[in-house]
Amino acid sequence: MSARLRIDLEAFAQNVATVRARVAPAELMLVVKDDAYGHGIQAIVARAVAEGVCWFGAFDVRAAVATRAVSGPRARIFSWLTVGADEIAAALDDDIELGVGDAGFLDDVAAVAAARDVVARVHLKIDTGLHRNGIRPEDWPAVLLRALAHQDAGRIVVVGVWSHIAEASDHDDDRARAQFDAAVNAAEAAGFSIEVRHLAASAASFARPEFRYDVVRVGAFCYGIRSAGGSSERELGIRPIATLTAQVLEVRDDDAVVAIGSLDGLPSILAGRVSVGTPGGMRELRAIGLIESIVEAWPGAAAGDEVTVFGRDVSSATDLAETIETVGEEILVRVSPTVPREVV
Amino acid sequence: MRADAWGHGARFVAHSAIEAGAAGVLADRAGAAALSDVVDPRRVLGAGDTLDADAVFGLSGTTTPVMSAHGWVVSLKALRTGEGVSYGYTHRATRDTTVALVTGGYAQGIVRALGNTASVTIAGRRHPIVGRVAMDVCVVDVGDSVVARGDEVAFFGDPRTGAPAIEEWLRATGFSAAELTAAVGLHAAREYGP
Repeated sequence: MSARLRIDLEAFAQNVATVRARVAPAELMLVVKDDAYGHGIQAIVARAVAEGVCWFGAFDVRAAVATRAVSGPRARIFSWLTVGADEIAAALDDDIELGVGDAGFLDDVAAVAAARDVVARVHLKIDTGLHRNGIRPEDWPAVLLRALAHQDAGRIVVVGVWSHIAEASDHDDDRARAQFDAAVNAAEAAGFSIEVRHLAASAASFARPEFRYDVVRVGAFCYGIRSAGGSSERELGIRPIATLTAQVLEVRDDDAVVAIGSLDGLPSILAGRVSVGTPGGMRELRAIGLIESIVEAWPGAAAGDEVTVFGRDVSSATDLAETIETVGEEILVRVSPTVPREVV
Repeated sequence: MRADAWGHGARFVAHSAIEAGAAGVLADRAGAAALSDVVDPRRVLGAGDTLDADAVFGLSGTTTPVMSAHGWVVSLKALRTGEGVSYGYTHRATRDTTVALVTGGYAQGIVRALGNTASVTIAGRRHPIVGRVAMDVCVVDVGDSVVARGDEVAFFGDPRTGAPAIEEWLRATGFSAAELTAAVGLHAAREYGP
């Protein structure tokens, strides 16, 4: 009787094909962090591999290792959280490539690689203005020298340069791109042979060809999650692949009581702001309790009917998100892991 | 015991509750199955009155919070006057400062709306979350405090330990304490301590 998150792998494959066609000749790095944005990493990675995706992005080593377990040895897996020696070792043992945006972390990676007698594949991160991780431009030359020493010693090989952009404005992003180009040029001038440059995520990879470089890191659009305040799914050529449903428990007067609540990850502040799909059409989501919610009833509403909270042909996760000033990704990743995923 | 005992872990909560003298625990069928080896099945009930869960989990401000949420400092960097932070540059530094990248983002229940509205505790001192909270990380302005890579960061917990109270998150998000703690407990790695 509980809620369910249905995952349409056909739609996922079509979204992946749309993204790849759009960004070619750049390659898609499918971002699978946080259980593939709540969709279930196992089914997603398996299908992506079958569709020919060869790059995967996992924030932490745990997700990277989980990806490797499904992908097999050929996929290239990129992980970019700065971690301690144990996790660096786990990453290197599974042939995970590491994003390095901190000089201290660079030394740690080289030390662990030396201890295990392997060569760590490293992507150096330049901070182009987001000011999260990443090496500040003024520190970049010194870090390149350090990286070169580690590379000459056979501990690391710098295969990539990457960054994140802020998407505050096209002007800001253009400035970030100029800084990125300068960083890549400096790395090449220092003697590195940079195989992969990656800067763009979903939105920029679609809208701005000059941001694509060799690889684009895309999660949201592959899962059919459009950007809040951005182009529609139709304009992008993508479809939501996740549908969140819940069953009607009982009907009281004009209220249908459905088996999903805020403890399942449905933000309580959506109540009164959105409509959900019912057998009688779209109806107001009137109240969200801890484990049950109230939907305006429809003619013939009965226990056992299915209500669709978000998905295709009803409100998308981003539609819901926009009513509470957030993004569709947050709606997806809040869905409780106790809500069963049903792959179709 | 719904939603894995509001994100606290049904096995831990059910066992502790029975140890502490509860007559039984309330669980649905799936929840009951998960408890069969930690609680006498006769004490797992499908219906009945319960204790006030807000009080049991310490969410109402009158009892001790059971859950505290923590991240750690990934890296530190200089942020100069006028420079923006995180997506959309919703925060810009008004003075030269130092910012810490901290693990914990909206995929771990650190609600996106907390950016520029909430603060965290590092080594007993409060520091604001600046800019948008991202999916896995957020940025904290640590000013001239001495903070190092690896330091623990408290998002919420028992205010007597210096951690922010969950009530601060209620005001910032409009969410309930139950759904806030459940989302963190269900998505983050859980540890149990004394």
